[in-house]
Amino acid sequence: MELFAIPLVFALIALVAPKSKVNYVGLIGAVVSMVVSFIHVANFSPDQYVSVFAPDFILTFGLTFKMGYDGIGLFMVVLTNVVTTLILLSNLNREIAHNRAFNALVMLMQFGLLGVFTAADGIMFYIFWELTLVPIFLISYWFGSADRKKPLMKFFIYTFVGSLAMLLSLMALGTYSRSFAYEDLLAAQLTAKTAFWVMAGFFLAFAIKIPLFPFHTWQPDTYTVSPMAGTMLLSALMLKMALYGMVRWMIPIAPEAMDALSCMVITLGMIGVVYAAVIAIKQSDIKRLFAFASISHVGLIAAGIMLFNKDALAGAFIQIANHSLVALGLFLAADILERRMGTRNIYDMGGVAKLAPKFGFWFAAVAFASVSVPLTSGFIGEFLLIKGLYNYSWIVGLVAGTTLVLGAVYTLRAYQISMFGAPKMEAFSDLTWNEMLTFFIIMLIILVVGIYPQAIIDFVGPSLDLTIESVKGSKVIVQ
Amino acid sequence: MGADLILLTILALPLLGALINGTLGKNMPKVIVGSIATGVMFTAFGLALTLFGSVHKQQLVHLFSMISMDGFELNARLQLDSLSIWMTLIVTGVGSLIHLFSMGYMSHDKGYYKFFTYLNLFIFAMLILVLGSNYFMLFFGWEGVGICSYLLISFHYSDAQKGIANSVAARKAFIMNRIGDLGLLIGLFLILSQFGTLEYSELADKLFIDKIEPSTWMMFGITACLFIGATGKSAQIPLFTWLPDAMAGPTPVSALIHAATMVTAGIFLVVRSNFFFELAPTTQDIMLYVGLATSMVAAFMALRQNDIKKVLAYSTVSQLGLLFVALGMGAYTAAMFHVTTHAFFKALLFLGSGSVIHAMSDEQDIRVMGGLKKYIPITHITFLIGTLAIAGFPLLSGFYSKDEILAHAVMHNPLIYGLLMVSVAMTAIYMFRLYFLVFHGNFRGTSEQQHHLHESPLNMTLPLMILAVLSVFGGILNLPGVVMNSGTHWMSHYLEHNTRGLELIKTHHLSSSQSMMLMGAAVVMTLVILFVSFVVYVKNARLAKSDEELKGWELASNKKLYFDEVYNFLFVKPLEWMSVKIHAFVEVLALNKSVYGFAGLIGKTGDIVRKWQTGVVSNYLFWMVLGVISLVVYYLIKF
Repeated sequence: MELFAIPLVFALIALVAPKSKVNYVGLIGAVVSMVVSFIHVANFSPDQYVSVFAPDFILTFGLTFKMGYDGIGLFMVVLTNVVTTLILLSNLNREIAHNRAFNALVMLMQFGLLGVFTAADGIMFYIFWELTLVPIFLISYWFGSADRKKPLMKFFIYTFVGSLAMLLSLMALGTYSRSFAYEDLLAAQLTAKTAFWVMAGFFLAFAIKIPLFPFHTWQPDTYTVSPMAGTMLLSALMLKMALYGMVRWMIPIAPEAMDALSCMVITLGMIGVVYAAVIAIKQSDIKRLFAFASISHVGLIAAGIMLFNKDALAGAFIQIANHSLVALGLFLAADILERRMGTRNIYDMGGVAKLAPKFGFWFAAVAFASVSVPLTSGFIGEFLLIKGLYNYSWIVGLVAGTTLVLGAVYTLRAYQISMFGAPKMEAFSDLTWNEMLTFFIIMLIILVVGIYPQAIIDFVGPSLDLTIESVKGSKVIVQ
Repeated sequence: MGADLILLTILALPLLGALINGTLGKNMPKVIVGSIATGVMFTAFGLALTLFGSVHKQQLVHLFSMISMDGFELNARLQLDSLSIWMTLIVTGVGSLIHLFSMGYMSHDKGYYKFFTYLNLFIFAMLILVLGSNYFMLFFGWEGVGICSYLLISFHYSDAQKGIANSVAARKAFIMNRIGDLGLLIGLFLILSQFGTLEYSELADKLFIDKIEPSTWMMFGITACLFIGATGKSAQIPLFTWLPDAMAGPTPVSALIHAATMVTAGIFLVVRSNFFFELAPTTQDIMLYVGLATSMVAAFMALRQNDIKKVLAYSTVSQLGLLFVALGMGAYTAAMFHVTTHAFFKALLFLGSGSVIHAMSDEQDIRVMGGLKKYIPITHITFLIGTLAIAGFPLLSGFYSKDEILAHAVMHNPLIYGLLMVSVAMTAIYMFRLYFLVFHGNFRGTSEQQHHLHESPLNMTLPLMILAVLSVFGGILNLPGVVMNSGTHWMSHYLEHNTRGLELIKTHHLSSSQSMMLMGAAVVMTLVILFVSFVVYVKNARLAKSDEELKGWELASNKKLYFDEVYNFLFVKPLEWMSVKIHAFVEVLALNKSVYGFAGLIGKTGDIVRKWQTGVVSNYLFWMVLGVISLVVYYLIKF
């Protein structure tokens, strides 16, 4: 329970703390949460299921309040807490971090995410899923750029429509089940047609949140107008709820519909990989460029998940972590450039690497991680995903592989135009200590996972095995 | 120390050097930075030498398992055998000399510590590439050297005039390599799906002991993908245009990465995979013809280049093409022999050109050089040796290694031999042109440049001298039987037992008289070209033409047959056009506008529906009654 209590307590403290110190309240809260989740990891063996909350009663309409985690859940919990810490760390010296509401909202967001990743009841999942929308919307609305209103409205409507579809699916599923508890939902026997609509509802919600082509048009605008912390929360954490949701909810509860939907989702994922990468090539707004890059990368993950075999799923989870870290790094770099040069247009930048060598180095490191070079976690993730897609169909594998080439094209182009050449300005203040520490931690994790990915595979492996078995129709219950 | 420990030390040393210089180098004196980087290289080379004699059978050094899944296992594992140690010796040996040279060459550069960090890092990646025991490790090194290459080509990224061009060249190199890498990666997936492992020795076992016979198509697919990877890294048609641009990097980088080591990775890959290629004759043929075409096209382009480094760059591409011809004929040892001698004389030529550029105050255009032999005598003599070696002058190393390949070609197909001879002739022509224009005649630069002309310091000339000696005597490594009466190719025997596939080598069986005739033809040709070049460029003092005077074939050669322009037209421009158009029409117009249109439609619907909510109870009652009546009528009709 302390996992959930800590963010809430710190959110309350943040609301009353003095403005000059409130930035540390948020950071300490995140660090404490992170350490606690590490303790959970230390006491956890990967084939275990840990129940966090399991009351004896069921509400009349089937709500059980069950919460708990297995390997996948705990993995996402740790990711949430590490990423939240890094977001607050990178913002530490900025104006936004001295705002009470901001810190409280980030903590609330963290609370909601932890709920999403530990929910073992459909309704609980839905409640937490919706809960996260409130803080992220307010962060972007209160702290975003001047032209934020229209894009945020679009974002809100899009995700809300998706959520409604998911709610309908859950309700429909509930009529076939004793309660909304995860194991009961798994046990529900659906006809192929019902399963199709149930899965389609979930899919719409997830496809919008990820976002998958063609449900993505809210994303570049929203990423661009949100403050850095908002963009980071959206890309590094919020969309991971959807990828996690595909593995935990969408596929296991309606596996009967896999045959009908997997081909379509993989196709959409592949279109997204190429489509967004091609668009990213000629973008001049650095935030938009990275937003499209993100669409391209997550399309690959979503397609890999639909294969639902262990190699691809392990690759998907490694890539989920990798994408979170890379997105943090890239949007931090974009924000540093924007703040210190007053523009997001890369053609107005140039020569920064000479003036700010530390920034030049760390930005380059993250850029190469984004290009998924060997020794980084991105390489392992993409290797496993593309290998899986290749085994599915060689054409799909080839299309997925173009991300290696196109990714290099747009990333290196953005880096080169903004950082290389003769300096276009007098001075550019180099990284502050907290920015540097953020980059350092990001790269450290990326390299450790890239060199020894087996650690993650062993951690999520047993849960993946169980999930895959349950989907294979044997109806083995994950708990 | 056991062999495995020595191997690990060899691998760890450059990494250690890079870490020390990378973290502390900024605040250390240049002498110490350079000494650390160069010191680890010489130590690694010394250690590699101790392993040289003791590799009669292969030895695996398991480090750890990176990924272990149900179907497959990917290991961080090293393989010690004669081929890997041979490559290690080239990499660390030539690498040491180039590090030493760089201490002098880069001494005025602000990024001194960074340069040596990258250089050490490159050696580390290259060693992973050659020492790994499986394709997964190879891929790690493969992309690792690509990153180092990127960092070193763009080394002077903030230069006021050339900064942009340097970084564009670096990006081009990385992206073109990435295209090849994608091919290689798909090759890896194919191997994994067919054999379930990426370990060289296990694969060879499966093919030769378990006698697994994959379909011809499978073997073709695997080898073709591997070869696509090789065309990227080893700059073959169609992925070769990055290499001349890569000359934007500092000259020692060109010598180390873009001549002696990294670009031979593709050759190494094919030699390593000989067990696959021997079962895929179609790919071997493709390799042969691609190599032949590259060799001739690049040699032709080198004929009218005026940048001293560009001439050498095209020469490298051409020589790599020659190597692929050898590989296409299954002449693996001949290829490795030429890789070795080429590493010697091409590193020598590049470092020599570095010494020239250094003396000329960073001038690279040979049209403003001339008569340098009396100003920089050591550079002159060593450069001359390198020129003679690559041109195939009798008794120098290049003569023997080239002759090996030509001898295989005669046996394979006389036409290919003939075309190769054309390529060899062009090599001699552009090299002698380069040599005479740079070192003979009158000095054509500014008086300021002339004033600054100076021979390089000892730490630069010493590597030149050592490489010159190696370029002269390197042929001893694999003297053909016709020269030594014992009749053995020593290197063939050394490399022979390292992989099963190599035992399949078809050694050529030319009689001594045939051999002598071939050699004689080559010698006569080289001497004639030398004489004619001397007459043209020294006696008649002909100079290189200015850009405006070029026309016909000279213009085509100078403009590199317009490859860059064609690629730009076919690939770069369309991709950029698509990027802009897709964004404008699909993203903004079709998707965004339609969403807003849909939202607008909902808004309009809302307006219409709102009109129904009049707030007058009688209206509502009217609609209610109408509804009830409709329902009743509907059910009546239905039953």
